[in-house]
Amino acid sequence: MNALFPSLVLLLVVIWPLLLAGSLLLSAAHSVVLRFAPWGGLPALILAVFAPPSVSLHLPWLLLGTELGLVDDTGRLFLLFTALLWWVAGMYARAYLSDEPGHSRFFVYFLLSMAGNLGLILAQDLASFYLFFALMSFASYGLVVHEGSIEALRAGRIYILLVVIGEVALFAAMVLATSATGATEFATVRQGLAQADLRDLIMLLAFIGFGIKAGVLGLHLWLPLAHPVSPTPASAVLSGAMIKAGLLGWLRLLPLGEVTLLQWGEAFMALGLAAAFYGVVVGLTQRDPKTLLAYSSISQMGILTMAVGLGLAAPEGYPAILTAITLYALHHGLCKGALFLGVGVVGVCRGTQRRWAWFAMWLPALALAGAPLTSGMAAKFLLKAQTVNAPGPWVSVLQTALPWSAVATTLLVGRLLFLLYQPKAGAVNHHSPAGLIRPWALLVAGTVVLPWWFVPETPTLWSQTTVLGSLWPLLFGAVLTIIAVLWRAHLTRNPGAMPIRDGQTPAGYLTPRIPPGDLLIPISACIAPALTYGRRLANEQLPRWLDARLASLRRLWFNVDWQRIIATRESSLNHWSKTMVLLVLLGLIIATLGASQ
Amino acid sequence: MNLDAWIPLLVIASALLPSMIIFGLPEHRVRLRTVLNLSGASIKFALVGWMLWGVYHGHHYEVRLALLPDLELVLLVDMLSLFFVTLSAVLWLMTTVYAIGYLEGSPHRSRFFGFFSLCVTATAGVAMSGNLMTFLLFYELLTLATYPLIIHRGTEVARRAGQTYLAYTLFGGAFLLLGTVWLYTLTGTLEFTPQGFLSGIGEEHRFALIAIFALLIAGLGVKAALVPLHGWLPQAMVAPAPVSALLHAVAVVKAGAFGIVRVVYDVYGTEFARGLGVLAPLAWLAAITIIYGSLRALFQDDLKRRLAFSTVSQVSYIVLGVAIAGPVATIGGLVHLVHQGFMKITLFFCAGNLAETLGIHKISEMNGVGRRMPWTMAAFTVGAFGMIGAPPVAGFISKWYLGLGALEAHQGWVILVLAGSSLLNAAYFLPILHAAWFGDPPVAWPEERDFGRKETAWALLLPPLVTAAMALGAGLLAPLSFSPLGWVKLIAAREFYLP
Repeated sequence: MNALFPSLVLLLVVIWPLLLAGSLLLSAAHSVVLRFAPWGGLPALILAVFAPPSVSLHLPWLLLGTELGLVDDTGRLFLLFTALLWWVAGMYARAYLSDEPGHSRFFVYFLLSMAGNLGLILAQDLASFYLFFALMSFASYGLVVHEGSIEALRAGRIYILLVVIGEVALFAAMVLATSATGATEFATVRQGLAQADLRDLIMLLAFIGFGIKAGVLGLHLWLPLAHPVSPTPASAVLSGAMIKAGLLGWLRLLPLGEVTLLQWGEAFMALGLAAAFYGVVVGLTQRDPKTLLAYSSISQMGILTMAVGLGLAAPEGYPAILTAITLYALHHGLCKGALFLGVGVVGVCRGTQRRWAWFAMWLPALALAGAPLTSGMAAKFLLKAQTVNAPGPWVSVLQTALPWSAVATTLLVGRLLFLLYQPKAGAVNHHSPAGLIRPWALLVAGTVVLPWWFVPETPTLWSQTTVLGSLWPLLFGAVLTIIAVLWRAHLTRNPGAMPIRDGQTPAGYLTPRIPPGDLLIPISACIAPALTYGRRLANEQLPRWLDARLASLRRLWFNVDWQRIIATRESSLNHWSKTMVLLVLLGLIIATLGASQ
Repeated sequence: MNLDAWIPLLVIASALLPSMIIFGLPEHRVRLRTVLNLSGASIKFALVGWMLWGVYHGHHYEVRLALLPDLELVLLVDMLSLFFVTLSAVLWLMTTVYAIGYLEGSPHRSRFFGFFSLCVTATAGVAMSGNLMTFLLFYELLTLATYPLIIHRGTEVARRAGQTYLAYTLFGGAFLLLGTVWLYTLTGTLEFTPQGFLSGIGEEHRFALIAIFALLIAGLGVKAALVPLHGWLPQAMVAPAPVSALLHAVAVVKAGAFGIVRVVYDVYGTEFARGLGVLAPLAWLAAITIIYGSLRALFQDDLKRRLAFSTVSQVSYIVLGVAIAGPVATIGGLVHLVHQGFMKITLFFCAGNLAETLGIHKISEMNGVGRRMPWTMAAFTVGAFGMIGAPPVAGFISKWYLGLGALEAHQGWVILVLAGSSLLNAAYFLPILHAAWFGDPPVAWPEERDFGRKETAWALLLPPLVTAAMALGAGLLAPLSFSPLGWVKLIAAREFYLP
């Protein structure tokens, strides 16, 4: 095999899904293409598995000079789990949407988002990363609003608003970074950025731009609305794969491992930890399993944000931290995908099948909680091992917080399993649960097996302390969950134990509810008047002011009695001429006098 | 006179002759008129191709005809003028095809195409003017040739729009004339010269030069629709779609913007203008226009009106790049001359298609139109994303170079303007896209015409598809030497910023 072939596959990773999306638009080929649609991620999968250690392709004639490549393990692992998720979700979607009229429209957006998501992993320069990031972000709007319900449209509006803000922030970050470093290749930009004058501004903009996608606390508002309202397979890729694009953006652009950025590191760690717990607390109050999973994503991305902060604060430990981050991303991507798809499967199955499906959900759920012998344990272990690099007091903060976040996650997945256990009334019955089960089962198996390929050989990983260390948060969380379930059962049986106001139990006593989007509600309440005012200002007051100025100019022009003015000027000129003659005569006299002397 | 000197004249003639003949043609000679139009456009296209090859290899095309004592009519083809001529040649061809399809069966077509070609003649003249006097002549010709096109429909609204247009542009022309004459009394020459011809003028004329600059910019700013001189543009959108397309993409607004480029680079020279302190106010004016135009666009329900305000905003990108006046910002501003042309003409073609095919004029009627006219709306989507500045459409390249150039010139605030403009562009284009692609189509369209299995007539569909592809290609293939960006880089290197 010569070197040409891998570069060809590299191109196909992006072009193939784009081609499929394009040909879906042609009605003639439509039904055949639809069958191939889930396979849009195939070249990516092939590349991730079989590519030689470093493949790259330089296309200087494209955009601002494009550099595509698969040059490190980070890229390879991201490509692997992303492609796998898109592939499984694609198969799942074929069955999930088989009887819907919007089937092929869904796949157009699905394939476009896929091309963006896979392409950005290969992008080694700012511009092409931005291109694919934008493609993914804008195209996945089609996934969010696919259902067309009022909630979906609202979620879509908020989603697209934040996408645009993120795009603009990224644009500014990239222009500033390129201006400061004179390059667009990530490798050069990262190094140059470490010493750049505007480093902090650039980092802030990148933090916002990518943080919106990654669901960082404060920028997460869209996420719990948009991830759950889209069709289940789309939720899986949104929450499993696309959310990681934000993380990858940070890893590519921020000067990680180049320079110590203590304050940035601390900010990332603090925000990350806060999100890890905040996501769980709000998630626990949710009743819709998919919304709960979206909050879980916020929480898990919080842990990854924390890890990025660790890398910023401790550049010398960054290579090992990067390995931990990558593995954690892989683990979370697969688990979250399997959980989302599983919610759909449990929703359509009946009877024994349903029970089996419910039990199978335990596998990714336990892995997410970091139970012993799961990928979660390995990922958390690797991450925890790196906390010793943290500056000063942060070591103990992180080492305490991480197990407790595992407790929190256990509670959250406990709640999820509890919610799924109760059969949902009026769930849509799809034609073939089998079509949903097969891809899902594949992904669950992948969740269990795949991460172990990439866990570095660490003797301590298998030591008793590690396994036991991963066990107590799980057990503690499980006990809390059981207590909660029992308490709830007790209350339901004895309604007298609940407080009564106005003759009934206050709504939300059993589980208090925080509406999805949490902070969005107070925020939009504050923004609304400002928007109304801005609208008035831009649409009425400013133009009116401008028109008034123009009108007064016009009045000035027309109100002047030009005829009269001209007439008087003319007549005064008549007098003038007499004066003039006198003046000229006077001048002549003076001149002759002067000349005669 | 050798052959090289004839070519600029032929370019002018390629549009002028058909125009003169068409005026005399009776209304029913459709085929002859079409042949004349298309052959004129094709000949111009070929001539421009010839000149591109020549200029790239260092040829020089120039014609001088005595006009007044000491003042000559100079047609000069340098890289900059060729850049604009090429744009007008390419888009004229597209618009001619489109206009033939658009006006099929409507009255007064001889009048229309006559003035249409005259308008293109004037644009080519504006582009190739070698001195300010020649520029002024063609600039005024453009004003007069456009007026009958704006009032073509003959409705009350159209007539009022035409009046407003004349009121604005005639005043603008007067300012320009005043500035030009004043300048001539100071310098005795009006020849466009790289890096300007004013550097030899003494310090005592400083204020006169500032005043002249203000007069010239006021005159050109009317056509370039700088706030507060933009009032005519949103009204002029009552003109038929091909006119709007040409007006917004090449002819009128671009003539203004191009004039500003000439004044800043070839009359004053960037260094000299910066020394006078006139560039900073111009940059601010452009920035205000960018934001104001977008803000107004946000609240228009009439599609063409929204696009018109969008033009107000986007054309000022060119002015902004020129006013920043660094080597990189110049590239960003100049290249937008072409990029905005491609994108905006696509959008207007699509708006025309919606109006012609389905009778849709308002954005609120566009729900689900993507399903009825997927190709048209695909082209529209490309144009809209280009305006927002999303890659890989050409608008991204313009914004990128403007941003880099602003930073290079230590004018970081421009990034804020660009970011704000992107946000606003998204705010007024994305809802249209949402309605078109995700809205539910109505039971019946306002005024549907049947085209069988096609979504609309070929002559209407092909031009927007081609221009959308060009907008996409200009962005995707920007690093190639024959892309607009490549050409502009060459201009900046060869003419504006000599090493």
